[in-house]
Amino acid sequence: MLTATTLTVTLSHTTILHGVNFTARPGALTAIVGPNGSGKTTLLRAVTGEIPSTGPVTLNGHDIRRAKAWELAAIRAVLPQATPLAFPFTVVEVVRLGLASGIDAARHGIAAQALARCGLQGYEGRLYQELSGGQQQRVQLARVLAQVWQPVAQGHPRWLFLDEPVSSLDIGHQLLVMQIARDFADAGGGVVAVMHDLNLTAMFADSVALIAEGRVLGQGTPAAVLTDGLLTQAYRCRVRVNTPPAAGTWLLPHAASLAAE
Amino acid sequence: MVALPFARSMPGDRSARAAMLFWVLLAALGLTALLSVGTGASGVSVPQVLGDLWAGQPISTRDRVVLLDIRLPRLAMGVLIGAALAVSGAVMQGLFRNPLADPGIVGVGAGAGLGAVFAIVLGGLLPASVAAVAGNHLVSLAAFLGGWASTLLLYRVATRRGQTSVATMLLAGIALGALAGAVTGILVYLADDRQLRDLTFWGMGSLAGASWAKLLTAAPLILPALALAPLLARGLNGLALGEAAAGHIGLPVQRIKLLAILAVAAATGASVAVAGGIGFIGIVVPHLLRLASGPDHRWLLPNAALLGAILLVLADIIARLVVAPAELPIGIVTATLGAPVFLWILLRRRGMMDL
Amino acid sequence: MMCRLKPSVGGLHLVLTLALAGALFLAPAEAQNRAERIVSVGGSVSEVIAALGAADRLIARDSTTNYPASLLALPDVGYVRALSPEGVLSVGPDLVIAEAGAGPAEAVAVLQAAGVPYVAIPEDPSAQGVLAKIAAVASAIGLPEEGKALAASVQDGFARAAAQAATVTSPKKVLFVLSMQGGRIMAGGQGTSAEGILHLAGATNAATGFEGYKQMTDEAVLAAAPDVIVMMDREGDHAMSDADLFAHPALASSPAAVNGAVIRMDGMLLLGFGPRTPDAAMALNAALYGRG
Repeated sequence: MLTATTLTVTLSHTTILHGVNFTARPGALTAIVGPNGSGKTTLLRAVTGEIPSTGPVTLNGHDIRRAKAWELAAIRAVLPQATPLAFPFTVVEVVRLGLASGIDAARHGIAAQALARCGLQGYEGRLYQELSGGQQQRVQLARVLAQVWQPVAQGHPRWLFLDEPVSSLDIGHQLLVMQIARDFADAGGGVVAVMHDLNLTAMFADSVALIAEGRVLGQGTPAAVLTDGLLTQAYRCRVRVNTPPAAGTWLLPHAASLAAE
Repeated sequence: MVALPFARSMPGDRSARAAMLFWVLLAALGLTALLSVGTGASGVSVPQVLGDLWAGQPISTRDRVVLLDIRLPRLAMGVLIGAALAVSGAVMQGLFRNPLADPGIVGVGAGAGLGAVFAIVLGGLLPASVAAVAGNHLVSLAAFLGGWASTLLLYRVATRRGQTSVATMLLAGIALGALAGAVTGILVYLADDRQLRDLTFWGMGSLAGASWAKLLTAAPLILPALALAPLLARGLNGLALGEAAAGHIGLPVQRIKLLAILAVAAATGASVAVAGGIGFIGIVVPHLLRLASGPDHRWLLPNAALLGAILLVLADIIARLVVAPAELPIGIVTATLGAPVFLWILLRRRGMMDL
Repeated sequence: MMCRLKPSVGGLHLVLTLALAGALFLAPAEAQNRAERIVSVGGSVSEVIAALGAADRLIARDSTTNYPASLLALPDVGYVRALSPEGVLSVGPDLVIAEAGAGPAEAVAVLQAAGVPYVAIPEDPSAQGVLAKIAAVASAIGLPEEGKALAASVQDGFARAAAQAATVTSPKKVLFVLSMQGGRIMAGGQGTSAEGILHLAGATNAATGFEGYKQMTDEAVLAAAPDVIVMMDREGDHAMSDADLFAHPALASSPAAVNGAVIRMDGMLLLGFGPRTPDAAMALNAALYGRG
């Protein structure tokens, strides 16, 4: 279980999150959505312990501010929005950076399996910098997956924190990556993902937290949160939520219809 | 790429290659060391000395001094300082995530240089008692203290609430370098002709002053730093992903940064102190090794130590042979050989440079 | 204006003859442990050795040795402060004579450990310093009598130079210009050997208020108003014509420029403070005051 209560983040004298409450449970895919600059990524960075914040945050019962870096690394992995790499590592070397030292053979296996899972079999020997942006993003996902390869370890759930994991992917790979996250959650792990695409969110998420201007407008099932009223309030444009009979929730922005001032 | 039948490596895993390179470099260092002990202006020959010894004949004082008091301490210092400069370069580049970073950047170079200039120009003004204690090591001592002090200053400037900003440290290092340059300028202005020549020679570096005593002052600083380096390898690998990601994979980022800075300050400070300014080893060696067997610091650091030692010992052999019985400052040799090689690499591997 | 050095050549001949004569009367025992393979480190030390007639016993020299020119043919063991210990050992010396401050100290220690006698000669840019240097070198190479003779002749030279200088009633203000790189005048201030030789020649140093060789501001040069400019004699690209020199705004209106008074002399002769220094002083005096 991940719980953050009255979470407040102030960076350079500007308060970005104002006493936010946020929870995510293992076995579920929890999405954080909201307009640009609303504080989505800040929330993710705060609950992973990357930036200072106030208000209690616990992950599997651990206070994330008191836990050691290696203790947290054993139970959760974080995929940043973009990861520039400093030196010419090969793809498999990048994936292995996420692995704690262990038996070589097993690590070989995990790295190869993680790459295969992300559709990158055959790319092991390629240099990371020679790949496209989308391929690099999938290599990073493979690295993060390898770090927490088993969604449940010794009876405790492990966690994936993903910051816009599909932002530079084509539609086929968007679905692949979302399915990986879905499978991780279905196997008992926890997934928290900052999402931009509301349709993918509606398709894959179990729980959605909608954020605007540093405050949570609502958290709950997609059907409960992704409503005309809340979305229009958050994004300041009229959004109509449709529900075609054959599919799940379906959203279309209402063209040329800015919200009334 | 050489395929090794015995290595059960998967594609993209260059560790077997790096391991093979380690053994090759180790053997090459052995050969270089033999060459270094066996060559010199005086023509003392090791096989002949050993033969005499075997035959029970006494060794002349001159031969003994040449071998034991000139060539051996020089070799030892070349190995130690070459390794220290190359490893310091690799660690700094890993820390700053920039293949062009150099120990000079953290202010060690500037601070050590300033310390040395102070000692050369103003050493005569010291009270006799201090001068007597410091003796011939005054310049070394001042260079080391200067390097250490400037590193600590930079660290203080760049650290806020327990977080060291690498970018701030880089900028502060540039500022400190400029300040050190200006103060050095003032001292150069005050210097007399002989001191000016001393400053010039010091800046070009040399192993000519090698002695067991100097080795004993430098080794206690360089060896622990070299021993510490392998412990940093995993951390530096992680830092390649950025500081945030390094933290997320479980690395104690702040401690790694602190240890890396301390190790570099000790190794570079001590090297600059006893051998003066020797350039290019710190940049060329890690770069060559990254091209050969990848940037994994678990192999890069030990291999850099070996290749740095080999190159500096070779440069020293050249330095003392080309103008014998005089000798060239070794910094001239490393720069005249290192710079064209480096340019050649840049030309050939232009596409790889951003990597 | 040019200076002439004829007297010094005659003096050198005399010294050489004396030295040769002295060597013949040496006791056999002394001759046996006399150093025959000498490495000389320091330009003025080499000059004294040559003046003592022992140039043939030199087997190597340092890079500051350039007089007499015949010594340039010897192997060069490097700069006086950056000697290579094995390089020095490789020429097989039985004596190293070095001016004080030669080094690095580690190299000197190694030479001594190798059993090579090492003698350090004190440095002092004055008449007394030159005499002391001659005595020290002469005793180190086993030529005390020749040393006394050389010292006497040099002392005599200093006395004549002093007498000549004493006849000067109104000393000229002289600016010693070391270089004019990029239009900046580097002048010899207080305590320099340039000032030393100016005083021996009966002139005053126009550059006051600073020590060592420093760049002077144009206004300070203007205020110094030198009567004469003294420079080192250089060849090739470094040579600067009188016209170029006096085209410098700070010098253009000086008395030196008005009279076209510039003296050029060999640098080692002028600033070396060795056996030739009395000759240099007298030559400079003659050039300054129109004798000779």
